[in-house]
Amino acid sequence: MSSPFEDILATLIRQRGVLGCLVVGESDGIVVDANVQVGVSEQVVAALAAALFRRARLSSQSAGLGRVQFLQLEAEKGHVCCVGREGLVLVTLAEPRAHIGLIRGAMLQGVEVLA
Amino acid sequence: MRTHVAEPWVEAPLQGFVDDARVLFALLLHPSGQVMGQFGFTRAVDVMAACALAAGIHASAGQLGRELDGQPFRELYHAGRDRQIFIGEVRTPREAFVFLTAFGEESSLGLVRIFFAEMSTRLSQAAPARVDGPPLAAASLERDLARSLAALFGRSADGESGGTPLPS
Repeated sequence: MSSPFEDILATLIRQRGVLGCLVVGESDGIVVDANVQVGVSEQVVAALAAALFRRARLSSQSAGLGRVQFLQLEAEKGHVCCVGREGLVLVTLAEPRAHIGLIRGAMLQGVEVLA
Repeated sequence: MRTHVAEPWVEAPLQGFVDDARVLFALLLHPSGQVMGQFGFTRAVDVMAACALAAGIHASAGQLGRELDGQPFRELYHAGRDRQIFIGEVRTPREAFVFLTAFGEESSLGLVRIFFAEMSTRLSQAAPARVDGPPLAAASLERDLARSLAALFGRSADGESGGTPLPS
């Protein structure tokens, strides 16, 4: 069965160094649709990334900074990138060698399908 | 706020879950309704009521699952307006336990499920070997229930059973 998120997930997973991409419910952290490589624990990534994005959104609002456009977590062994809209979060998990600029562009374009 | 447990091997996994998942209440119990550990409750009577309800819900869901799917439902989730509850089964080499937790805006179902799975693994590793005892009778159930509540709330097992606040 196809979902409206298939195209954006397929676009993201084709990017160099991307380990997985997911559409997640922001409030419950449950996977709506995902395209991940073998070995990626999608439920764990989904729940933690959604919690991270939600807290970032609330922090940004509290600080009077408005809506979170793009959230990037840079870690020792890779990146977690998130964009969100209408209670859904698009999450991309990538290796350090990934081109974050291209991923960011694709995610910001893809965020439209979340609405 | 700390967890209160009836048996020491329960404490570390339960406290770890509470710290990580940031839940409001947590309750680990035997399927008969006997409490093994709790977090967030302030009165023994509330623990007793929650244990009885959780045991009943778990038993009903298990039977419903057997009727519909040929195997018992092991997890149950209900979303309220402000608070949500999750009930799951914890399997250990000793026996199976029922876990009930309530959470609010600070947590999410996804987080609760992840840390519940982690806690189940830790409980399974920490559980002592099974000891075969006599069949459960109403008198021994009541005595065991009183003993576990006494251990949780720090008073004698023959003391009155409700409304006692937790020691701070």
